[in-house]
Amino acid sequence: MIKITNLEKYYETEEVQTIALNKLSFEVKEGEFAAIMGPSGCGKSTLLNILGLLDDPDGGSYLFNGIEVAGYNESKRAQLRKHNIGFVFQSFNLIDELTVFENVELPLIYTGVKPAERKERVHEVLEKMQIMHRRKHFPQQLSGGQQQRVAVARAVVNKPKLILADEPTGNLDSTNGNEVMDLLTELNEAGTTIIMVTHSEHDAKFSHRIIRMLDGQKVTENILV
Amino acid sequence: MLKNHFKISIRNLWKNKTLSLLNLIGLSIGISSVLTLLFSVYAYYTADEYIPEKDKIVYLKTILKDGNNYREVPYPLLDQLVENSTEVVAGTHMHGWGNIWLEFEGRDFQKETSYANPEFFEVFELPLKYGDAKTALKEKYSVVLTNKVSQQIFGDINPVGKTLIGADTLNLKVTGVIEPISPYSSFRLGVLLPNTILEDNPIFKAQTNWSNSFSPIFLKLRANADITKLENQVDQLLKANYDDIATIADIKVMSFEAMRTNAIPVVDIIITSSIAAAFFILFIILVNLLNLNTSTMFSRTKTIAVRKVLGSTKRSLIIQYCIENGILVFTSILLSGFLFLSINLPRLNDTFGPEFGQISFDFLEDYPVVIGIILIGILSTLLVSVFPSLRFVKIPVTMGIKGKLQHIKHNFIWRNSFIILQFSIAILCISIAIILNTQIGYMKNADLGFQRENILVGHIDLDYKNIDVAQSKFNALLNTLESSPYVKSVSTSQSIPSDYYFNYSTYSDPVQNTDVRMRRSYADDSYLKTLEVPIIKGRHFDRNLDKADDHPAIINEAALKAFGWESIEGKRMKFKGNEESGYPIVGVVKDFHYQDLQNAVEPLVHIFRDRKRLEAHRFLTVRVQEGHEAAIENILTSTFNSIDSRKTYVQSRLADKVSGQYLLIEGILQTVSITAILAIFISSLGLFGLISFSAKRKVKEIGVRKVLGSSVSNIVILLSKDYIILVGIATLIAFPIAWYTMNLWLDSFAYSITIKWWMFGLAAFIALAITSLTLGLRAIRSAMANPVDSLKAE
Repeated sequence: MIKITNLEKYYETEEVQTIALNKLSFEVKEGEFAAIMGPSGCGKSTLLNILGLLDDPDGGSYLFNGIEVAGYNESKRAQLRKHNIGFVFQSFNLIDELTVFENVELPLIYTGVKPAERKERVHEVLEKMQIMHRRKHFPQQLSGGQQQRVAVARAVVNKPKLILADEPTGNLDSTNGNEVMDLLTELNEAGTTIIMVTHSEHDAKFSHRIIRMLDGQKVTENILV
Repeated sequence: MLKNHFKISIRNLWKNKTLSLLNLIGLSIGISSVLTLLFSVYAYYTADEYIPEKDKIVYLKTILKDGNNYREVPYPLLDQLVENSTEVVAGTHMHGWGNIWLEFEGRDFQKETSYANPEFFEVFELPLKYGDAKTALKEKYSVVLTNKVSQQIFGDINPVGKTLIGADTLNLKVTGVIEPISPYSSFRLGVLLPNTILEDNPIFKAQTNWSNSFSPIFLKLRANADITKLENQVDQLLKANYDDIATIADIKVMSFEAMRTNAIPVVDIIITSSIAAAFFILFIILVNLLNLNTSTMFSRTKTIAVRKVLGSTKRSLIIQYCIENGILVFTSILLSGFLFLSINLPRLNDTFGPEFGQISFDFLEDYPVVIGIILIGILSTLLVSVFPSLRFVKIPVTMGIKGKLQHIKHNFIWRNSFIILQFSIAILCISIAIILNTQIGYMKNADLGFQRENILVGHIDLDYKNIDVAQSKFNALLNTLESSPYVKSVSTSQSIPSDYYFNYSTYSDPVQNTDVRMRRSYADDSYLKTLEVPIIKGRHFDRNLDKADDHPAIINEAALKAFGWESIEGKRMKFKGNEESGYPIVGVVKDFHYQDLQNAVEPLVHIFRDRKRLEAHRFLTVRVQEGHEAAIENILTSTFNSIDSRKTYVQSRLADKVSGQYLLIEGILQTVSITAILAIFISSLGLFGLISFSAKRKVKEIGVRKVLGSSVSNIVILLSKDYIILVGIATLIAFPIAWYTMNLWLDSFAYSITIKWWMFGLAAFIALAITSLTLGLRAIRSAMANPVDSLKAE
């Protein structure tokens, strides 16, 4: 599903050039659950941004479902992104002005789904995430665990092929964290490809494969299953 | 999607309640004043729109060699032009000859009366509500009324065919009623009578020759008429016939539209300043919204990024933002409409109504104003939404999602320039208001050369029904007043200060052969004494020495200088070209300001007239002992109310009449002051919003500084100093502009103040005090916050 070859990304300030990704190559197959680990500043988040089509690489190749997407412009990336990729962030990134229902509904609006179908699909996913009873609440009225469940619901409502999770349990206590990990596992078992960036060895164990990075390069790869 | 946009917009506005409220208040008040100014300009410019083919209508303007100009031409010129000029399709005289008294079923009415030819309705094709324009002025004893006058006399019925008694003797048949006319129209019409009605009047008849210019004419020209040709024809006709041709420098064919600004020159200033004020206020409110929007954008970068991650396009984000601002702007427009109708318009009518007429707003008729304000709303919304959002939707998602904004250039040049410009305008208005106010105060309180206090003025020119009865009651009143211990002096006169006729004649000194153009007025022996105008040569009038038939005269210093006389002994003056022996000069009074201080004291002569001739005077002036005004006023009012007259007796005080001369300028002052208050108020609202945002953004910085030992005052200075500096720069920009423009304006006054540094000092103080207060209040709140909370906030 995803194949990157010699991927490069630099950050330049006035004085120094920092290499964030240094000729990085790996592949993630459809239905796989991969975890990316490594110390702060090793390039994990940069990688996730490029994989999520939020950012453009400076060099190398990125095949998404067999299509070369490196060099796509912003609007093409956005088009591909909204139909295929769901995001889960460490800090949830729910929109404060919208209710739980409306937050989850938003991706469907952007992909042009009709209102009746939207309602049905949002309800369906909220039921699945066991957050239906909170659908009229605003994010700030929910606990961290509940907020992340809403964020996961929002990420999956469009039935994306790929979910990118950036430290999904980083702001949660262990009970809530485990619940979120169970949710992701369930999604993966249902066929969704998941790539997760994490610091937590505990969370990484939920995945099939751990890719360890240092200074923008892959150092090891452990296959768990 | 749209529903979603609206929902989010309303929630966003609600979330930032304080800011939304600030914006709503600023916008509503601002837009209501813009609406008021634009509506009055619109009403003024469209006032003559109802006259068909008005671009073909012209009048003649005669410019004299001495610089004066007038619209009147010799009476026979019209017929000659209509007959001989191929450029002219139709023409009419239109002049006054005293306002006629009309009687209907025992009630008397006197309205603005004009006399015109039957062709009047060919030149001005005014729509008639009732009657036929073609024949309306054909019959000698016909009368056409405006709708307003018709309603006052007849109510809502069609009066065509009814008879009015004119001037006690004429049976006038109503032949037409003109559709309602805008109060701003160039026409001050009330009653229109055919010119032929005046032909029985020997005084009128005597003037209708080539020697007198008393009647303005209006011509309807053919399409694409040759104006130069027409001017040449006028020139030839005058050269061939007019006696006083040597005094004329030029005769111009003027468009009908030019008449208005020619009549009241100050209108141009008022209109230009209104447009400028509307523009300034609009600019200030838009800058506020623009700056505040840019600031709020900083707190929205994350939401924008999240939306983009979820698939939103840039366009959708901008639309969302437009809707949010649109809601704010259009709610304000609704509120401002309410303010305009309930407060601004009535106030406008109070201020300018007496001079220009009352105006009213009609949604259907004045639809261009409604469309205009909606367009302003749409453009403003786009302007304040698109620019800030364009900048922020460009931020890469990867940065926005983490709230990392350090790479956004904090480009404050535009923001700061706008703030400087806003405050320059505000301070300019404050300075102008201060200077205007000082000038008005100066004119009102200046030494006028006479004592204006404790003088009662009675308007005694009342069209008495029985002059003999009136005269005997008046004589009795004079006796009562003269014997009253509370009355210091009583007099009758044709004029009073503030109300002298434009009665100019050229007088000459037969010995030295010098000519002086001066004003003339008639007064009894105690008029100048009552005003306490000092005599500097000769003596006051004396009823025992002077006889009215001899026309003894008292001139003022300006006239003395103009004649070049050292002494008045044996001096006489007479009408230029008149063979009579002339007027003996018995005294010279010190120059006094008989008109307002915009004008220099011009040569003036008072000619003696017997006090007791009631119908020969317009005013009764009574100097009363202080504290007894009311008692004497009662005597005057009850006496005149007991005399049968057509006009109602009006009682006033001289001091009020003198101050009343400045009503129009005071109206302008009021407009400037309101603009100044709005400008500083709205600009400060903007600053308040901006400092709130920078305080929010700097919560952590403030916390860290406090932990490191910074005091509250240090933090207040940190937050507000940049803005105070901007306001300081604005004062430096505003002052020279204010100084220059106000000096130009003050030059138009014969007597004016000199602009002093304290006027600018006061303006700067007001501006800085208001901004410091606004900024200080917000800054102190932030500075007092507990650093533990501030640091946690990150």
